[in-house]
Amino acid sequence: MAEQFEPRIVAFLCKWCSSAGSDLAGVSRMQYPPNVLPITVMCSGSVSPLYIFDAFNKGADGVLVSGCHPGDCHYIKGNYYARRRIALVKKLLEFMGMEPERFQMSWVSAAEGTKYTQIINDFVEVLKPLGPQNKLRRNL
Amino acid sequence: MVNVEDLRKEAKRILKEGKVKYVIGYERGEKGLMAKPAFIKDPDDVDRLIWDPTCVHNLTKFLVDEKRRKAAEKKPDERPVGIVVKGCDSRAIVVLLQEKFIGREDIHILGVSCEKNGVIDEKKLAKKLKGKTAEKIELDETGNFIVTTEGGTTKIDPEDILAERCLECQANYPVIYDLLLGDKSKKKIDKPYKSLEKMESLTEKEKWEFWTEQLSKCIRCYACRSACPMCYCDECVVDTIHFANRRHHSRRKSRQDKMGGEIPRSI
Repeated sequence: MAEQFEPRIVAFLCKWCSSAGSDLAGVSRMQYPPNVLPITVMCSGSVSPLYIFDAFNKGADGVLVSGCHPGDCHYIKGNYYARRRIALVKKLLEFMGMEPERFQMSWVSAAEGTKYTQIINDFVEVLKPLGPQNKLRRNL
Repeated sequence: MVNVEDLRKEAKRILKEGKVKYVIGYERGEKGLMAKPAFIKDPDDVDRLIWDPTCVHNLTKFLVDEKRRKAAEKKPDERPVGIVVKGCDSRAIVVLLQEKFIGREDIHILGVSCEKNGVIDEKKLAKKLKGKTAEKIELDETGNFIVTTEGGTTKIDPEDILAERCLECQANYPVIYDLLLGDKSKKKIDKPYKSLEKMESLTEKEKWEFWTEQLSKCIRCYACRSACPMCYCDECVVDTIHFANRRHHSRRKSRQDKMGGEIPRSI
């Protein structure tokens, strides 16, 4: 039997909200797909577009950037910067012919463990029909 | 019509009066028809300056080099640099000014208008001439190009040899200048964003194929970085190992190289 395609997601989670949110999901024993590789960053605003392309280069099927809710940033306005930058990255991906669904952004607070599991669930469902990402992948 | 003599006269004047350090402009290239950049310091050399549809290159990049050079000098010459710019190049200057990379007082802009025309595409011209080399290219009164080759002259419609970007150009004259040569006339275009609309109408797959084909030409010579006036970072992103992962850049491989081809078990 052929193995079902399991997408690999790289998630950049901000230290103050989303990372704590995923932690909450974990300690509360919520069930969510194991396809995600979380990377904690200090702020979603510190995620350079290069990190995102680098993840795609290294074979990620999807990239998620998650930060605090607008207005709740620990650094006051980091997630606003992220939001602007990420909109551009999404447009760029579209322009060069990548599926824009492979890249998502979300807002998850430290108390929203359920929302985090929901986002990962949805993302995996979106990625499964798209198949593996081979466009930006390099053979390492 | 832009009178080249006016350009030379103005260049001579500012050089003689010591208003500028030197003038960056175009001169006839040594091989073939196309123009090459000229750096003129001596007022007697201004006759080398030209302005015609063979002046393809954007000279704004030299302002970036100039800033670097100035920063390295102990006693820099604070006078501005004269530069010849087309309409499109003037936009590059505007962005450099907006980003405060250069100051307005660092440059003396000699603007030239393309006047409903533009610059020629060398590849299109070569195709049109079928192997012959062009020796001279002129504009006649009706707006057609008269190309002289060893076998005689050919009349060519500007649509056929103008660069793609010039066919849809909305910026025929400089938006910023100290002296403007030629008039501010605009070409009438039915569909100003035709190529962009075409690009946007493509499907994801077609877009990817388009870019794959475009980038298949890339030989990583980094000439794009050397030509683009907006590329002025001191440390360039394409020089880092994070940008693209190649096999010889991976950690394992480099360590292997250092250890003479073998990785000791203990590490």
